[in-house]
Parts: sequence; structure tokens; C-alpha cells
Amino acid sequence: MITDEVGTFSDTVEEAAPVEACTKCTACNTVCPVARSTEIFRGPKFLGPESERYRSQPEAAVTAGLDLCSGCKLCEVTCPSQVSIQEYIRRAQNKGAAEKGRTLRDWVLGHTRLLSRFGSMTAPLANLGNRNPLVRWAMERVLGIHHKRPLPRYQWLTFERWFTRRPHNKTARRTVAYFYGCWVNYNERRLGEQVVAILERNGIEVIVPKQQCCGIPAVVNANMDLARKYGGENVRRLSGLPADVDIIASSTSCGLMLKHDYAHLLDIPGAEQVGTRVYDICEYLWMLHEAGELNLDFQPVTTRLLYHAPCHLKSHGIGYPAMRLLRLIPGVQLEEVDEGCCGISGTFGVKVEKYDLSMKIGSRLFAAVKAAGTDAVLADCETCRMQVEHGAGAHSAHPIDILARAYGHG
Amino acid sequence: MKCDIAVVGSGLAALVATRTLQQAGRNAVLIWPGLSSLYFTYATVDVLGYSDLTTTQPVEQPEAGVAKLIADHPNHPYALAGLDALRSGTTLLIEWLRAAGFMWQGSLARNLLLPTAIGTPKPSCLYPESMAAGDLQRDEPIVFCGFVGYEDFVPELAASNLSRSWGRGDQSVRAIRVSLPGFDTSRLFTSIDLARSFEDKAFRREVASRIRREIAIDSVRVGVPAVLGLTHDTDVYSSFAAEVGHPVFEIPTLPPSVLGLRLFDRLRKHIQESGVEMIWAAPAHEAEVSDGQCRRIYLKSAGREHPIDARAYVLALEDMVDGALRAGVHTVVDPFFHRSLAHHAVPTERTDESLFKPQPFASIGYAITDRLQPSAGDGHPLARNVFLAGGAIAGYDPVGTKSRGGLAIATGYRAAKEAMAA
Repeated sequence: MITDEVGTFSDTVEEAAPVEACTKCTACNTVCPVARSTEIFRGPKFLGPESERYRSQPEAAVTAGLDLCSGCKLCEVTCPSQVSIQEYIRRAQNKGAAEKGRTLRDWVLGHTRLLSRFGSMTAPLANLGNRNPLVRWAMERVLGIHHKRPLPRYQWLTFERWFTRRPHNKTARRTVAYFYGCWVNYNERRLGEQVVAILERNGIEVIVPKQQCCGIPAVVNANMDLARKYGGENVRRLSGLPADVDIIASSTSCGLMLKHDYAHLLDIPGAEQVGTRVYDICEYLWMLHEAGELNLDFQPVTTRLLYHAPCHLKSHGIGYPAMRLLRLIPGVQLEEVDEGCCGISGTFGVKVEKYDLSMKIGSRLFAAVKAAGTDAVLADCETCRMQVEHGAGAHSAHPIDILARAYGHG
Repeated sequence: MKCDIAVVGSGLAALVATRTLQQAGRNAVLIWPGLSSLYFTYATVDVLGYSDLTTTQPVEQPEAGVAKLIADHPNHPYALAGLDALRSGTTLLIEWLRAAGFMWQGSLARNLLLPTAIGTPKPSCLYPESMAAGDLQRDEPIVFCGFVGYEDFVPELAASNLSRSWGRGDQSVRAIRVSLPGFDTSRLFTSIDLARSFEDKAFRREVASRIRREIAIDSVRVGVPAVLGLTHDTDVYSSFAAEVGHPVFEIPTLPPSVLGLRLFDRLRKHIQESGVEMIWAAPAHEAEVSDGQCRRIYLKSAGREHPIDARAYVLALEDMVDGALRAGVHTVVDPFFHRSLAHHAVPTERTDESLFKPQPFASIGYAITDRLQPSAGDGHPLARNVFLAGGAIAGYDPVGTKSRGGLAIATGYRAAKEAMAA
């Protein structure tokens, strides 16, 4: 029976559940893609909340096997008690690395931006090298990067430079800041161009504030200080934007860092305020549509597509706005392929000792993609796209690519 | 985000409500706060096992039992949902299970008594094919088979308890244990690990032959923990049973429940394939009510609150399991209307000293109107377009009376119908 009304209680946005909130129900272990694929992984429950109870300051308990957590966050997505399982694992892994040191490979992979900058500056050479068996053999021996893992192609003209050179469209009803991320900047400038074109087509001015790597490669490679440094720079710059400027990200994981992890995992001051202004590009466009402001002047795009929802998109807690958007386009036949994690998890599947595991995790998805035989597999996350192309031999694209085609910007 | 009808929850009630909406061609969004309660429960459908909390005599005919319960207790959630909702909802679920590839048996007409992992009989009327041979109304002797190193099912305990309550003679209930090929017993493993292994043909065959070697006599049936495959693929069960050479039945284990996992994973996927959008990882709270209508609820999404504007809402919440209701020292508070749910406000009165007795906290929840709207206890709705289903409805103990599944179906179905009409 309901009786008296009580005042607003403190249970506001994203109240972090303490470790005691874990009821040991094992739900996380049942969905963990790594635990599903290898017996040597002890699972998120043990490595997260259970071990956390025994980790005390200042001595960090270095638990074996933490590096096998790929960081997909499906454990947190499924936890009925909203325990930050993966954050416990990341913090412990980071403490362990701070005490014992990290490998050259993890240091390098944590500095993806540096690596990409170098790759971009030397683009034709770097791309040639990345496809040279001898170079790849050496990379595997020296850096621990698996020789079978296709590495992304670098482009000499970065998105940043492309953007500054283009004429500016300033007659707009509103302005957004685009957090393009390292991928768009160094590897897939075209996606950034499409994002800008789509937003401008909808009467929105795009500005591009100076930005740093979002920091997620550093987080998952046990280098949280570096991630905090990167995040701090981004928060400082994004905080300086006028209050009515929303921030748009086209990479699922960059967006999640800005929205959530800066404030909750990295404790960056001011990050919470920035996080409330960050939108995934498809989330933002769908919002425009609901407000009656999305330009629906689409050309038909006759194509059969599969949509793979990236694990980190599930963590956004916004549903699948890309699917809703694409269903507005005449001619698009879109189905979801719901086979769980693709296995690559950013830099995880690049590593020599984890490549096979990453391919095993993705095997169910690859089989479903091959069986469906569609024109392309769409995924909002760039490493998911890399993995699907590699594992299933299918063409993969960001959902924005289809939207751009419908607007005639293909 | 705007939608026609928003369903909040991930248990059986939420699934039945969503399926009802989807079958009627309505645009439903399923908001999923965390893993389904089906992972923790037996995942058979119990409609009515005991007519009240005092009796030990199981109900034989659940449908007739519910009809009597409704006549005797006009305020019981079953009475408010109505017998028709139970019937129609059950038909909908059975058809859905079939369409999704499940082999289930049973009906509302008759309860089976199925053995639990501790050897007690549990009345249930809808169950997977793989559990049917456990029916205690049949006479064949039972061999409980455990697996060495798997401590979540103790065959000796099940056997000793069952032989006391059910025993049909000296040799009627026995316990054996077989070792599992390739399992290092120094390591802890769960039902999930076993279920994954049982999907492997060679593994299954080897375990079956080890069981066969342990059983010398004919015409027995073998009860094993419910770990025969992680997916709903019934081939795992039937080929294993054929190789054991005796009738085999699965017994639900301690969480995580493989039976529940099979059910939830498949039904979730099936309903997504039919076009229902699912929002993961987003606990819902805060109903914004004006003029007696709920205008919006909020999801705790990454970074900010994500508004959901629906025409109607089905709140198919669990009780305490998924954290939908928050218990403090003096109050239990609901997250949508910020009302105190006043049942057994003192913590010491919320629980019974005996773990195995009915627990008062089980009946904490929302008071509802005769249309399943949340109410302030005076029969008036807090919001006309919000409808409740499942465990968070006040005034009944789904565990004690073994009626969790039936109530989820009846209230889930009825709430969906009301939401469509709202």
C-alpha cells in the first residue's frame, strides 16, 4: 500500500553502486564474451567486485588475469544492481601496472594518437609497411602486435586540416562542436566529412574545437594517468564552449568516455557538466527528427543491411538510434544481427596473445554475417567495423555513411 | 525519445506485455534495467502451487485454484488482473515459445510436482520438455546425478530429502556422482561453464557413458542439474537422454539458472527480431505526472537523464531483485512516484527468522487499482496511463504460494491491454 509522499531522495543520475551492492548473482559472468570463450578467464564477478573486497589502499592487490578483461562493459550493462564491475577491474589493472610497470606494447597502444600521428605523417610508407609481411613479423616480435591483424590505413590529410581549409557555413540556427576522435582524424576523414555535411544540411553550424585523444586506449592499456591527462585537456577545452553548444561524437567509445568515464572512472573535475552535453551523432539526429527539425528529403538508397550494435553503444543506454534513423530512408532494408561482442574491443584483439581469443569471441557474429549475405554491416564503432571486415570478409560502414548517401553526399 | 508504449522491465511480465503489444501491432520499446530475474528463478511457470501460505497441500488444478482464489480474495492481484488475462496470456506465451523454437509442455489444467535441487517437490504447470520426466506423480525410482566439483547441486542432499517425503521404498531414490572429462576440480565452476561444455557432442557422450556405467538397474530415471546446453537447442537434451539410456530430467540449480538464461536470451532475441527496440543498461525512474497523466519517465543513461515520452507505460518491475524498489531503515520507496510503500516498515518485521518460511518483504509493493494502475491505496490512480505488472505489485507472496509465473503472465497481459486502451 502506498501512503505518505516522501521528499526527493538522493538516488539521482548514475549513483554509483558500491561493491557491497553486488549480490554475487553471476549475471555478469553469463554475458561476458571473454568468459564465454576461454576457461582461463575467471570472469568479471571474481576479478571485479569479489576481488575488490580484498583490495586495500595503499597496497594494490595485483590479481592475475585482469588484462584478459577486454573492457566491453557488457557486465555493467547486465548487472541488475548497477555495480561498476569493469571500473574495479580497470582500476586494479592500472594499479598493478603502476607497481610492476607495463610492457612496451601496452605503452605504445595506450598512445594511439601519437602512433596515428606518425602513421598519418608518413602515410604512404606506413601503409606499405603495415602490409609488409617482414615488417609485420618484426612488429609481432618487438611490439607484440599479431601479424594477422589488419592495421588501419592512415591518411596524409587529417580531418583537422581538412576542416580548417574548408569554407565555413555560418548561417545556422544552432551550433554543435564535433568531437571527431583519432579515427576520423587519421584514418577515416570521409566519415567526418559526412558528419559535417549532414549537420550542415540540417542547418547546423559545426565547429571543431582543438582536441586530444579521448583516452580510452590508455584506459584499457593500464595507463589511467595518461587517460586522465588527455581527458583533462578535453574537458578544459570543451568546458569553454558557449553553454548552448552541444557536443557530438561519431565514435561510440569516444562518446562514452566523454559522457560517462571522464567523470566516473577518471574523476576529472568538470567532466560531469561536459558529459551532459555530449550526444552520439545518431542520437542527436534522432532528437532533431523528434523535434520535427530533421531534413527528410532523402533519396532512396536501395540496399540490404545488417546492423551490429557495439557493446559500448549499449552502455550509452540510448537504444539504437541509428536503426531508427535509417528506417526513415526509402529503400533501406535493415535487420539487426544480435550475436553479441565482435571480439576486438579496441586494442585488445590487436595483441599477439589475444588475437585468437578475439576471433573466437567474434565467431558467432562472423557466421551470422556470412549467412545473412547483406550488402554491408553497419556499426557505429570503428574497431567493430575493422573486426567484421576481417572476420567475416564483409563490407562494413558507419550508419552515417548510408544517411550521407540518402542526402546525396555518398 | 518518443514512443507509443514503454515497457520497463526484463522478466516474464515485461516479456509477456511486450509480446502482447507487438502482436497487436503496437510500437513498444522495452527498457531493460539489468539482467532478467529469469536468471535467478526456476524458469518454469508456476501459476498456483499453494492456495495460501499456511497449507502444505499443493494445488492440483491451477486454473480452478486461481478461480477459487479470485472468488475468495477480490483484492488479490489475480482477481484484479482477471482469470481471462491469465488464460489469454498463457495461450500467448505458449504460442510464443513454440514460435521461438522451445519445446515446452503442460497447461493450466494440472500441476506437476517437480523435484527441486534440494529434493523438495515443487508444483508447476508449464515446464520445458527436459524437466517433464521428473514428475513425482510418476512411480519410477529416481537417481540424482551430481558432477564431481560442481557444488551447486548436491545429489546426496536431494536424495535424502526426497526419499523422506516421497520415497517409494528402499531403493527408490539414490544419489551418484560422476566426474567430468577435462574439468579441473580445483577450480570453481558454475552451471554456465557446464552448460557450455554440454553443447559439445563428445563431452556429452562421455558423461552419458559414465552415468550409464554407474546405473546397474533398469527402469529408473536420472535427474541431473539443469546444465544441458546453454541455448534453447533441444537437441542437446534429447541426444544426451538417448545416450544415457534412461529417462533424464533437468533440475533447476542455484543461480545462474541455465533454464532461465535459455528462455530469456531466446525470447529477447526473438522479440527484437520482430522489430521491438530494446534499450539496454538504462534503469528507469521519475514519473513526471500532470493532470493525472504520466508525461514522461527518465532513463539513467550515460552522462544524463534520457527522457522517454510515451502515451502509456507498463512498469513490469521486479520487487527487490532488480533494485526497482529501494528499502531504507524506515521506508521502502518507489523510484517513479517517490511514495513510501508502507508494508512492514520496520526492517525486523520484513523478514521471518526462518529462511524457508514465507517472507513478509515479498508482499511489499505498489497498491493498484482494478485497472492495474499504481494507486495511493484509495483506489484512485497516481497516473491514469501507467500500468503495473509482475513482482512489484503489493499484497501477495509469489514465492510462498508458487504463483510468480502465472501472476507475471496475467498482469503482464492485462497491463499491456490496458496500456493499448489508455
